[in-house]
Amino acid sequence: MFKTAYRLAGLTLASALACGAATSANAQLVTHKDLTLAMATAMALTAIETCKGQGYNVSVNVVGREGEVLVGLRNELAGPVTMENSMKKAYTARTFRTPSGKFAENVKGNPSAGALFLANIVPAQGALPIVIDGDTIGAIGVSGAPGGDKDEVCAKAGIDKVSADLK
Amino acid sequence: MIKASHLVTAIALVSACGLAPAANAQLAAHKDLTLPIAVAMAQTAVQTCTSQGYKVSAHVLGRNAEVLVAMRGDGTGPHTMENSMRKAYTARMQRRPSGEFATAAKDNPTIGALHLANMIPAQGALPIKVGDDVIGSIGVSGAPGGDKDEACAKAGIDKVADQLK
Repeated sequence: MFKTAYRLAGLTLASALACGAATSANAQLVTHKDLTLAMATAMALTAIETCKGQGYNVSVNVVGREGEVLVGLRNELAGPVTMENSMKKAYTARTFRTPSGKFAENVKGNPSAGALFLANIVPAQGALPIVIDGDTIGAIGVSGAPGGDKDEVCAKAGIDKVSADLK
Repeated sequence: MIKASHLVTAIALVSACGLAPAANAQLAAHKDLTLPIAVAMAQTAVQTCTSQGYKVSAHVLGRNAEVLVAMRGDGTGPHTMENSMRKAYTARMQRRPSGEFATAAKDNPTIGALHLANMIPAQGALPIKVGDDVIGSIGVSGAPGGDKDEACAKAGIDKVADQLK
């Protein structure tokens, strides 16, 4: 009786393994879309030109799916901090899948929020996530205008420039 | 008499050695890359290598080795961003092609500069000069060989050569 029970248990285990193996065999690689350098460059240049048109000198970073820098453009007429700041804003927007300004609002009531202590996170408006059908594939961050809202307008102009291709 | 002459001497000394040179001192005037020029260089470098079948990333640095433009090429290895920046940094610091520094490091593996941050003994970056003044550098990484990276870096400089003056 005990032996039979063990055998049954063994069979159950074997089935489980078989199911497991079957699941593995059926597993598929993940397919996703990513930004190209050409698109990222078009976004970044548009953001800079839009702000320039409004009298603001800004630097811009476009980051990809993993928060990696795709394009970084330093405006020689903007302050040194703008290169770092635009990258961190973009990283923040990418990783939280939300405008960096929204993140800044969210943490205002909780200055000791853990996320504030992670590398490259900055609670400052001026970056937007780049989203395709709910999938965040990157972000664009702007720094240098007198106000994060103005930075964000230029970031949005960058996204709008290539919105027809974001599909 | 003695006092008066001392006073005159003192005033003369101060005027000649201290105040006068300071008053005559001038700010340093130099040319620097603009963002549009740096973008044109980086794009040309990436596109040149792409047309040769090589996927590369590129960096253009300014006078103080600050990153002016960083471009991650489609389909490039993750290290190419760091590598193109460090090659460019090396070319800017050494005021010569990073490949020449690589040769120097081969001849002298304990060369001190190898131990400074961001220096890398690898070909693929060139200094950007106006006359003899190094105003920045361009670095490329991703092609199968530093000589091929360097050719694309050179294409980037050539693209804007008429503006480097």
